Amino acid sequence: MISLSCCFAATTHSGEDTVRVKPHASEPDIHPTVLWFAAQAVPSPQWTAVAHDGLRFGMRWQATPLLYSFGINRKLSPWRWFIVEPFVRQSGSVEVFCSPEYVNLEDQYGSRWAFRAGLRGYIPFWQHGEYLSGSLGSSYFMLGDTRGVSYEAGVYFFAGIVGMQTTYSPSLSEAPWTFTLRLRYF
Amino acid sequence: MNKLSVAALMLLPALLASCNAVRSTGAAGYRNAAGVFSTPREVAGKITRPVRQDARLAVLWIGHATVLLQLDDRFILTDPNLTPTVGLFSKRLVEPGIDPANLPLLDVVLVSHLHVDHLSYGSLDLLEKRMKQLFVPEGGLVYIPNYDFDADELKSWETWESEGLRVTAVPVLHNGWRYGLDDAWMKRSFTGYVIEYKGMTVYFGGDTAYDSTLFKETGKRFPRIDLAMLPLAPINPREYSKARHTDPREALQIYRDLGARWIVPIHYDTYPESLDSLGEATATLRAGMAEQKLTGNEVVILEIGEQRVLIPKRDGFSAGE
Repeated sequence: MISLSCCFAATTHSGEDTVRVKPHASEPDIHPTVLWFAAQAVPSPQWTAVAHDGLRFGMRWQATPLLYSFGINRKLSPWRWFIVEPFVRQSGSVEVFCSPEYVNLEDQYGSRWAFRAGLRGYIPFWQHGEYLSGSLGSSYFMLGDTRGVSYEAGVYFFAGIVGMQTTYSPSLSEAPWTFTLRLRYF
Repeated sequence: MNKLSVAALMLLPALLASCNAVRSTGAAGYRNAAGVFSTPREVAGKITRPVRQDARLAVLWIGHATVLLQLDDRFILTDPNLTPTVGLFSKRLVEPGIDPANLPLLDVVLVSHLHVDHLSYGSLDLLEKRMKQLFVPEGGLVYIPNYDFDADELKSWETWESEGLRVTAVPVLHNGWRYGLDDAWMKRSFTGYVIEYKGMTVYFGGDTAYDSTLFKETGKRFPRIDLAMLPLAPINPREYSKARHTDPREALQIYRDLGARWIVPIHYDTYPESLDSLGEATATLRAGMAEQKLTGNEVVILEIGEQRVLIPKRDGFSAGE
C-alpha cells in the first residue's frame, strides 16, 4: 500500500483542530491477477442487425487503457490503467476503451473481425452507480476496408457487471445497429 | 469458492439466499429465500427522540451492525444500514429501528469494512447532512464517494481524537473486499473500533471471526471496556463461516477476552443470514450464556429499535434502567 499523508484537519464542534493521529488515505495497491486476466477474457455477446437478414451473433472484448474517475474520493488518485474497480468506473468516469470484436459480417464487409477504440463517459444514476448507471460514448472502428465512427449508449446494473449497450455505426449502411449484453468485471 | 462467485454472491445476497436454499435440504434455506419476497416486520413504538438526558452511556440497536451510541453528549453510529435492501435485492426482515430523520447530529460514523451490508451508500446519502466525520479501515477510502462530511482511514491501533472523543481502530479477523477480485489488494480493509469518552469505553467488533490473540491484545490495551458490541451471525454453514464470522459462543469468548462489562449482540436476524434460522443466533447465545453462567446483567440482548441506558447519569455504574 502507498500511504499518503493527506491534508486532513478535523473540525470539531468549535472548529478547533484537535487531531491526535492524522488519518490516512491509502492508494489501493491494484495489480493484475490470474482472476483479473480470466475476467477480461470473458466476451460480451452481441447481435448486429443486418438489413434483410435479421440478427447476427457476435462477441466483444473490452480493455480500458486509461480512465479518469470523477466519482472516486477526492483524496485519492482518479486515474486508472487497465484495472478499474467497479465503483471507480460506475460512480462517474471517462474512459478510453478499445474493443476487438467478432462481428460475423464477412459477406457484407469482407471480415469477421472488427476493432474499435473510443471514449466513453459513465454517469451514476442510483447508489453512486453501483445499482444503476449509464454511459454515452463514441468510437472509431475498422471492419475490413470500412472505417467509420460509432455512437453508443449503455445502461448497467450490479456495479457494472451486467449491462446493455447499443451501438450505432452510420457508415455500416447494411448493419448500423449492434446490441451488446455487456459483461464486465473489473 | 472463487472470487468471481464471491463477488456475485456479495452483490446479490438474495441470490445467495436462493442458491443456498436450493442447495440446502434444510428448511432454513427455503425460509431465507422466501424472505426475499416478504415485507419487513414493522418495529412497534419506534423511538423518535433517541437523545437521552438521563444517560451517560446509551445504546440503540437499529438492526444488523447499525447501532446508535450515546456517550454523554456525543453520538456515534456504527455501520449505517438504513435502506430497505442491501445489494439491490436482499430485503430486510425487520425495518430499521429508527427513522433516519430522528437521528441526532452524529459526531462520528464508523464503517468496519466494505461489504454491502456494512458500507451502504444509500444510508450514507441519508445521513450526509447529519454527520461530521466518517472513518473507514485502511484502504477503504477508495469506495467512499465524495460527501459533504469528511472521511478518513484509520489503521489498526491508530487513534483519532477530537474534544475528548477518541476513536481507535483495532484489529479483527475478516476480509476487506467489496467486489471479490479486489481481495487481492484489500488485505487490511477491515477493522473494529474502540470509542472512548469521559472515562467510558465501547468496543465495536463490526464483523469478525474469532482470534483470541487479537481480542486479548485489545483487552490488554483497553483494560476498562464498558460495552462490547459483537456480531453473532451468520453461524451456518460453520465450516465456511468460521474463518469469517463468530458464532454466538465465540462472541461470548471475545467478550471474555476483552474483559468487557457488558456485551450487546449485533449482526443477526435483520437480513437473511446465510442458512441460519430466525432466532437461531439468540437461542445459541442463550445456551452459551447458560453454559458460562452469564445472565442478562452482562449480556444485553436488545430488540431492533430498543434503546438501553447502561450507565445512567444519576449513578455512575448501574446496569440497565
